[in-house]
Amino acid sequence: MAEIAAPMPAASVQSFDSDVLHSGIFARLAVVGALLRFRKTVGADLASGRNLSDYVCSLFIATLLFTAGYGAVLGMFQPGIQTLFAAAKLPIVVLGTALLCTPTFYVFNSILGSTLNFRQTVALVFVMTAAVATILAAFAPIAWFFTVSAGTLGFLIGLHLVVFLVALLYAERLISSLREILQSATGGPSVSRLLLTVWILLVGAVGLQMAWNFRPFLSEGPFVTGTRSLCLEALKPLAPDGEEYER
Amino acid sequence: MQSSLTAAARLDLPALLRGRAGTLSAPAMLVLGAAGASAFGAAVGTYTGGMQIVYAAVKMPVFFLATLGLSFAALYVLASSRLAAREILRAACEAVSLTAAALGGLAPVVAFVSLSCTRPSQPAYVFLVLVLTLSVAAGGIAGVLRLHARLASPGLTAAWVLIYQFTGAQMAWLLKPWVGYTFTADRFLPLRENLHGNFYEAVFGVVRSLLS
Repeated sequence: MAEIAAPMPAASVQSFDSDVLHSGIFARLAVVGALLRFRKTVGADLASGRNLSDYVCSLFIATLLFTAGYGAVLGMFQPGIQTLFAAAKLPIVVLGTALLCTPTFYVFNSILGSTLNFRQTVALVFVMTAAVATILAAFAPIAWFFTVSAGTLGFLIGLHLVVFLVALLYAERLISSLREILQSATGGPSVSRLLLTVWILLVGAVGLQMAWNFRPFLSEGPFVTGTRSLCLEALKPLAPDGEEYER
Repeated sequence: MQSSLTAAARLDLPALLRGRAGTLSAPAMLVLGAAGASAFGAAVGTYTGGMQIVYAAVKMPVFFLATLGLSFAALYVLASSRLAAREILRAACEAVSLTAAALGGLAPVVAFVSLSCTRPSQPAYVFLVLVLTLSVAAGGIAGVLRLHARLASPGLTAAWVLIYQFTGAQMAWLLKPWVGYTFTADRFLPLRENLHGNFYEAVFGVVRSLLS
């Protein structure tokens, strides 16, 4: 009985100190645990600017590793060189999308009255990519299971789109909760609610197009096709008189 | 005195964006705005590529500044009963510069969309024009809201926007091509062609052709 009532063993981490982030490459991944469990600490650090470079570096590394891992799962539909290609391409898509959308976020957020400076904004953008990457990593085993067992191309495209949608929604929720922590820590507006929603939609659209530019992920093909086209063309077969559309 | 002068001359983008423009001089605001406009212009020219990127990057700041220069006298007369000349100049510079800076913030996304659009392709071109329209609308809304905060009169704000837009539409017509859809390229300023007709006649022509 006494054993049941005893407190949790000390092995479980009860707090997070961002000083740990610069003590090695694996220690940097602790930032993912911090995002999942110690958002108040992360929010306070972002608000005060404490260890901001370490946060950005750690979030970048976590994003890089996790998206490369999920990319490899995508590429396992065509094992071989395609696995490597997809593992290299997915981090480019996720990080490239985030970097492209960063100036828009900073400029419009500032106009809407935010007190965050550019470095804090960049850190928040990488929180978004790391949140997306974390969800991708979490779903990677399931995605892998379907890829090797029951995968037809159409089904897998749908599955991956759903996973990315969940990842983006999760990132939005995470930034929303950080936004409130930042708000109470700095005493000023941090991220406009409306802008966050619009910006996440923008990130989704740019990301979809970026992924389209780097296609194929699932089928056999070169690293990039090098042809310019909009991802809307994927919808063409669904439209009546689809051929007419092309001029 | 010295330090406040250097502060006014400093190109403090956050001050312009957040509306703490009291610390910025009007020329500093215009320089920031011109930089934003130039970035947006370059992004617009990316669809055609090559020299069109440079041409549009040069023409976009000219568009904003020339429109402001031409319409300022009218803006001044309308606002003179409420504000001092210096305040009017600052409000006009701030609204225009903020719009241009906001467009600068959208430039990477616009450049990416431009680079992704098929060419030559009419649907892709139309899509790109739609993206540009949405971008300009977003920048314009930011500018108008700031103007409203400075002028504190909805009627005056509306009158200013109307005058600026009226002049701006013709200025954009005169300085075309922006995106460039001929792909033969890349003309900096075909002034002789552009002096034929004007924006409003062209709109009237389109409406008439739709009705006939």
